[in-house]
Amino acid sequence: MKHDAYSLTELIRNDDFIAWVLHPDAESDIQWQLFLANNPGKKKTVESAREYVILLAKDTGRNVPAPQQSEKMWKMVESTMQEEAKQAELEMPVDSHWRWVRVAASAALILSIGSVSYWFYYKSTDAGRMHNLAVTQTEQSEGFVQKYNDTQKPMTVILPDGSSVVLQPGAHLSFTKVSKRNRREVTLTGKAFFEITKDKEKPFLVYSYGLATKVLGTSFLIDASESNDDIKVEVKTGTVSVFSINNMSDEMKGGSKDSKYEEVTLNKDEKIAFSRDNGKILKLEQGIPLVLNVRDVSRQNFFFDETPVSQVFEAMEAAYNVKITYDKELVGNCSLNATLVGQPFSKKLEVICNALGVQYEIRENQVTITGNGCK
Amino acid sequence: MDFTFETFNKNKTDQELWAGIRRGDESAFTSVFDLYHATLYNYGTKLCSNSAIVEDAVQDVFIDIWRLRSGLTENITSIKFYLYRALRRRIHVGIDKFPVTEDIDLTSEDRFFVNDSNSETILIETESSAIRSRQVQELLSNLPERQIEALTLRYFEEFSTEEIAQIMGVSEKSVRNFMYKALTSLRSHSHSLSLLSLIFCLLLVF
Repeated sequence: MKHDAYSLTELIRNDDFIAWVLHPDAESDIQWQLFLANNPGKKKTVESAREYVILLAKDTGRNVPAPQQSEKMWKMVESTMQEEAKQAELEMPVDSHWRWVRVAASAALILSIGSVSYWFYYKSTDAGRMHNLAVTQTEQSEGFVQKYNDTQKPMTVILPDGSSVVLQPGAHLSFTKVSKRNRREVTLTGKAFFEITKDKEKPFLVYSYGLATKVLGTSFLIDASESNDDIKVEVKTGTVSVFSINNMSDEMKGGSKDSKYEEVTLNKDEKIAFSRDNGKILKLEQGIPLVLNVRDVSRQNFFFDETPVSQVFEAMEAAYNVKITYDKELVGNCSLNATLVGQPFSKKLEVICNALGVQYEIRENQVTITGNGCK
Repeated sequence: MDFTFETFNKNKTDQELWAGIRRGDESAFTSVFDLYHATLYNYGTKLCSNSAIVEDAVQDVFIDIWRLRSGLTENITSIKFYLYRALRRRIHVGIDKFPVTEDIDLTSEDRFFVNDSNSETILIETESSAIRSRQVQELLSNLPERQIEALTLRYFEEFSTEEIAQIMGVSEKSVRNFMYKALTSLRSHSHSLSLLSLIFCLLLVF
């Protein structure tokens, strides 16, 4: 029997044919259309071979790692990098990795009410000094930070990207200081209010038990208390997506993992409950907010209309449980027009201070305002 | 025209990334990790079914690159190719299965040409897409490891036969042989399968 160069088997392993099936372009299209025109009897063979090539490409590529596995591998690689960097540091002292935004007293920023999003685009830069508002901090290994609020009051934690998290008593947050790659990630148990610095390139992910909450830059509340069966998420500004990451590693084996992710998108004031038992996500009725205490940070709108600065700082102190020190004579009587919803604590301070022409410095849970203030 | 331009661009990026890594640029390194770790892992699972070993091996490949960055070769045509070769070596060291001598049965190829066209026509006409997809899945769970490896490198990773030969450390002829064997088992396999399903369908009708 004569060997047929365009038999099914031959086509499936023909380089030109594979290239055409996987990446068709005008040139190869013409080439294979021409072939079919000249060999009309091969139409079925070509169709069938095409399908096999696609199936082979798809089925041999089914074992990509689950996100958790990717994360695990990256963490390992990253920690070796850090170890090495640490060693290098010992030999030649360099400034520490994480540096904080110190706000230069640049030209006064005119605050327009409502267009908060404008400030979101101010990127945190790597200048200034590292500050931390949290009281309890344990550093297990290099770069891995755990915060536990064992006080009776809210505790504000500022993340390396400038985002702020107000932890309620009993809440626990962990994150890595060095967050390079394509996302920012933290793990939460307990209740916390997040105000996230906008960064379209790096989505911000909060993991709480089996639930992942993903945002680009916005504010929202998560209640993932250990004692509750459900985890609740409520959005204050912007858009948030939540999805279950339960049993992800099992599903990975079955292929087509995309279909297994239940992802729900939440807009302003919307909220969901996620069942820790069955991984189901339920949208909750709007109306009653998750936090009933009107003085809670998640309920504040920080709307200031010709408001004396002393009152502005009072509101900030109460919401974030920090102490703001400033010269009452110089600054206290200046007034402010602004709506500061959605952006993190340090960004709010930055906006206020820019408007007043003063500088701020954050140290522990103390904020010090310096400068001459409004003229 | 288009094609040459694309190739040029891609090479440039690879070279730039590689140069970045050699200089100690962390962002170049992380983007290489982001670009390749997932497919690299996928390839690793074809070499070893223990996912922990595969994870370790993928990690180690990247850790090695970072640690030995200053000593990396200056000229690289394809980072991907480099990574795959490195991973294969890693995994075989990890599971103590470094390649032994190849035994290539070249005569077997000829055997399959007998009765070629006949079985093929039956195949094409009786199959549905669903059956085809089942065939391929079944095929991939039954084939010898090296044939699956070759199929993965060819269809999913889209390496050329020459590159596959170098990654697997065999001759191009052997690669072609692996592929051929794999595809012919697909056929003999599917033949029985399609007959079975035909019978099944008939049973349903009556």
